Amino acid sequence: MSSEPLLRVENLKTQFFTEEGTVRAVDGISFEVREGEIVGLVGESGAGKSVASMSIMGLVESPGEIVGGEITYKGETLFGLEEGPDGDLQERDDMLSSEEIRTRIRGNEIAVIFQDPMESLNPVFTVGGQLREFIELNRGLSEDEARAEAIDMLREVGIPDPEERYDEYPHQFSGGMRQRVLIAMALACEPSLIIADEPTTALDVTVEGQILDLVDDLQEKYGTSFIWVTHDLGVVAEICDRVNVMYLGEIVEKATVDDLFYDTKHPYTNALLNSIPRPDRTVTELEAIEGVMPEAISPPSGCRFHPRCPDAREVCKRAHPDVKVVADGDGEPHQAACVKHDAFDAGYDQSPSLEGVAVDAGPAAAQEPESELTANPAGDDSGGENRE
Amino acid sequence: MDEDSGYDSDDALLELDGVTKYFGQDSGLLAGLEFEPDQFPPVNVNRETVKAVDDVSLEIQPGETLGLVGESGCGKSTLGRTILRLLEPTDGDIYFKGENLADLGGEELRRMRSDMQMIFQDPQSSLDPRMKVGQIIEEPMRAHDMLDDEGRRARAKELLEKVGLDPRHYNRHPHAFSGGQRQRINLARALSVDPDFVVCDEPVSALDVSIQAQVLNTMESLQEEFGLTYLFIAHDLSVIRHISDRVAVMYLGHIVELAEKEELFENPQHPYTRALLDSIPVPDPRENGVRGVLEGEVPSPVDPPSGCRFRTRCPRLIAPDAYDWSEEKWAQTRAFMRAVKRRSFEPMPAARIEAEFFDGDRPGGEAGSIVDEAIELVASDGSAGGNDDDETDRWVTATDLLLESFAEQSICAHERPAYDLESEHGNGDHFAACHLHR
Repeated sequence: MSSEPLLRVENLKTQFFTEEGTVRAVDGISFEVREGEIVGLVGESGAGKSVASMSIMGLVESPGEIVGGEITYKGETLFGLEEGPDGDLQERDDMLSSEEIRTRIRGNEIAVIFQDPMESLNPVFTVGGQLREFIELNRGLSEDEARAEAIDMLREVGIPDPEERYDEYPHQFSGGMRQRVLIAMALACEPSLIIADEPTTALDVTVEGQILDLVDDLQEKYGTSFIWVTHDLGVVAEICDRVNVMYLGEIVEKATVDDLFYDTKHPYTNALLNSIPRPDRTVTELEAIEGVMPEAISPPSGCRFHPRCPDAREVCKRAHPDVKVVADGDGEPHQAACVKHDAFDAGYDQSPSLEGVAVDAGPAAAQEPESELTANPAGDDSGGENRE
Repeated sequence: MDEDSGYDSDDALLELDGVTKYFGQDSGLLAGLEFEPDQFPPVNVNRETVKAVDDVSLEIQPGETLGLVGESGCGKSTLGRTILRLLEPTDGDIYFKGENLADLGGEELRRMRSDMQMIFQDPQSSLDPRMKVGQIIEEPMRAHDMLDDEGRRARAKELLEKVGLDPRHYNRHPHAFSGGQRQRINLARALSVDPDFVVCDEPVSALDVSIQAQVLNTMESLQEEFGLTYLFIAHDLSVIRHISDRVAVMYLGHIVELAEKEELFENPQHPYTRALLDSIPVPDPRENGVRGVLEGEVPSPVDPPSGCRFRTRCPRLIAPDAYDWSEEKWAQTRAFMRAVKRRSFEPMPAARIEAEFFDGDRPGGEAGSIVDEAIELVASDGSAGGNDDDETDRWVTATDLLLESFAEQSICAHERPAYDLESEHGNGDHFAACHLHR
């Protein structure tokens, strides 16, 4: 880890100021992306994973706002705050202007692939035309050159008969084909980093397999780094190198993909793994996680997972753990935010168990999902699959 | 309720015999009209039908869960709705407890519906936002004249508790509940009229993984308590594997394989089932499976392929008998044929095509000369090469030539397969619609 990572996110905080109160959608997360790796950002809907990735791109819209932290990309500051002369936080001088981010970073350096390919393509322009325009604007090619490049890109991502299909409209493409077009668009300017926000969630399994294969091939060819936002642990196991598990705006575990599945350190990750039905073997009894994720507007005290945690003890209601190194997984530190590990020294072992008293665990216990509409105003995925 | 129907509980609860559902594309006054300037009158009435479900026969035993799995657009939801006669079948018979539903008139059918209920995928839109939870659950009972006001209220509260909600939430509106809780309300509503059979159409696919497990567990315990029979429709094979006793795999309106769960997952006999199983990402980083094994996309159900509907994508399409070739040469020719059809490679010299697809060694005999002809057509240095105008035509000619000479000659294109096999796991029947088992 000698060289500077491609992207470093430190203590990022993104909040939404709604009428009901402040929603702390992303609450102090730190992670990094190195060159040529796929980093997973995993969690259920409302965990804040989409908001986190949009914050990196500077695409958080009102009433949302990044209120703290630092985002560094290739040594340049995409976002940073410092204390001004009057004691208020203000944006740092070395921070790139939104003009610079728009022209230099977005598309050219960091590209995004969204979940719903129909919403990302304009239905009244041809697919080829949109791709061509994007290449023309970002790479300064002439119209003819951009057209040739666009057709090449379409072939590259496996669109059959690209010359013919160049002039077709998005609705004439199937969901998988549209997602391929978006990948072509993301790759068109050969960015160093692609943020993929649930890119295969709306697709059928066989198509999902094709897309994952394609991403593997392209990554090998171009050496692009990815941030892969998903709720699907199967996809994570297939494609990611390192994984960050999010719960209620925080990262609760960071590890290499192998350590995450085989040496799980956080009870939430563990519970998640035990609650999914397996395609490769028959599970007779699913160990469901109790309750639902509380709201980010009034998170539980202490560890945010404690009302649902099977390992929770008295101390978990008080101590709020940040991620710490709890194991050394082959030179790659394995971090988790759970006080049951010795690294925290919070007196977990002496603390009485919470068995049976979980009901009075904070204002947002499982029974009161009153205003879930405000839980995630940025429009995170519904945790769902495609609808027929 | 059904003591007088003469239904014997040893028989299948539900039996489908050749159930077919076509949708006409002729809704609307001018739908299907096409302008044809070459003829008189210059319009053509296009009566295309979408063959959503085509000749499906199966049985569901009392108390079991039959999983119905397939990709989107394969007709699984249509089948579920047709069984409940929410859609009129185009053809075929549906027997519920030995009675043919097609013979039942309006009032009889309505009464029969209290034994058959449905749970929908989207927990937001399947609950009336203006009604209170109690009313929602009581409504089916009211429709079927069950109990009095007091009894219905008591039953609604009891059901709320059974599905894992607080009976005190009786007076709340649906918006006050999360997605998982709303799906529980749907469950309570479906169970209120004490049905025997519930069609569950993707009931957990809109839910988060941790909530999914809770709802699945509740559905299982309710099945045990009330002796329910489920038709469980889902696209997620992991969920299907967890909840089903037997599994039916659908592709483009046909059932392609049906077997007991363990048999189907451990010993799949249809190439489509295998492809589906291979494609699922396994939550285990040390499992390095093959992915993306299937090429292309599901063909349009307006004009499905003849014979086996999967043959256009099948990795094991059977070699036509007319030619004599090795397994290897046929595999290469098959790959070349599909690449030409999809135009998935750039025009290149004949020698490079040969090297790329045939390892520099084309098949011999009659098949070889057909392949030669096709390569000649698409190669950039072929006799017609360099002329851009008719490039598309040449590709189309090559595609037609290859498909007609090879794909259409295969047994897969002629006969619709249907074979009963021996099970390796368990002792149930194993149905596979694939000519590899001829």
